[in-house]
Amino acid sequence: MSNEAEKPNFITTSLDFLVNWGRTNSLWPFPYGTACCAIEFMSTEVGRYDLSRIGSEYVRFTPRQSDVLLVAGTISYKQAPILKRMYEQMAEPRWVIAMGACASSGGFYDCYCTVPGIDHIIPVDVYIGGCPSRPEAFFEAMFDLQKKIKDESYMKQRAERVKDQLEMIKAKTEQAKAEAREFAREKREELKEFVAEKEQKLVKKAQFWKE
Amino acid sequence: MEANEMTFAETVVSVLTSKFGGTKDNAAKWDACVVVPKEYLHNAVEFLKNDASMQMDMLLDLAGIDYLTYPNHEGPRFAVSYAFKSTKNPGRRVRLKVLVSEADLNVPTITDLYASANWLEREVYDQFGLVFTGHPDLRRILNHVEFVGHPLRKDYPAQKRQWLSTTDFLVPELEKRLEDKGYKVIQRSKEIMPVEEEYLEGSIRE
Repeated sequence: MSNEAEKPNFITTSLDFLVNWGRTNSLWPFPYGTACCAIEFMSTEVGRYDLSRIGSEYVRFTPRQSDVLLVAGTISYKQAPILKRMYEQMAEPRWVIAMGACASSGGFYDCYCTVPGIDHIIPVDVYIGGCPSRPEAFFEAMFDLQKKIKDESYMKQRAERVKDQLEMIKAKTEQAKAEAREFAREKREELKEFVAEKEQKLVKKAQFWKE
Repeated sequence: MEANEMTFAETVVSVLTSKFGGTKDNAAKWDACVVVPKEYLHNAVEFLKNDASMQMDMLLDLAGIDYLTYPNHEGPRFAVSYAFKSTKNPGRRVRLKVLVSEADLNVPTITDLYASANWLEREVYDQFGLVFTGHPDLRRILNHVEFVGHPLRKDYPAQKRQWLSTTDFLVPELEKRLEDKGYKVIQRSKEIMPVEEEYLEGSIRE
């Protein structure tokens, strides 16, 4: 029974398809723009290239409402804690695009103040080359990200996520059952004692009346 | 026109030499540059700013120099270079230089004469470690508060990176500035101290 349920079946795959379809076509970017790559992102977003054609309709300037963290530009060590905090504030599911040479590898800033690639701080899904990257390259990265999201299985992730919870719930239920059994046993013993006492009293009373 | 400028440069050099014990910097080919002793720096700058014949009312730049690996250099290791310009007599420029030895890193501040020197001196302090005595707010300006060392010194390894754990807490300065403008701070904010897990890998702790 359980093995049967763990395998993907018609319902779970259909659900996966639906969830992935929704996720791929509404990727809301959160631009963390610090350099010229952000300017390229602006031109990607507006009319000429129009990123909203693939569903990235809104640029959200808050990590709470966005799906894709777009790091466009040089990240210095002074900014690194801020970027990490920003990534942690984003809700699951979240993806990261490192746009341009600086965000991917530090670029030509081989010095004391620049982080050599943001993958030293946060996990990255897609890297884009270029200095700065062209809007076409950004579209390509979004298509790559969409392919990646389509391969993901929401039900599988969910099963992994709830596995621990399930085990915890099972353990809790066992504990509660044991407590209930103990409580019932105590009650039964109390009742037995009570009945025995009553019987004794009745016996005493009967003897008294006989006398 | 060119002759006039030349004469002005010559007069500046001669006046600074006679009044403040300066010497002409022969390494400067393109402009008038005078090396002034540290103890007369403030007087020389005051003279340049306020004297009717000078009127150097604009501080263009203030930069530190480290001569550690400079070829054929003799003398103190550090220097601070001041670039002045006159807006009343266009085309008049002059550069002052102060030599600072490694044993005594103190330099008198000129923030009381030029307000723009405030951040420039903070930058030189941050990058070279020269201490400007009398500066109202001598803190790091570009590097992080947790940064150790002064990165533009020639003996700092240029690729040595330092992990930092927190963001700079800048609210007290903001509150101070608001209070100076006459606002009243009702509630002072406190810095949220980072917990142990929030330290990035390899960061330097106090």
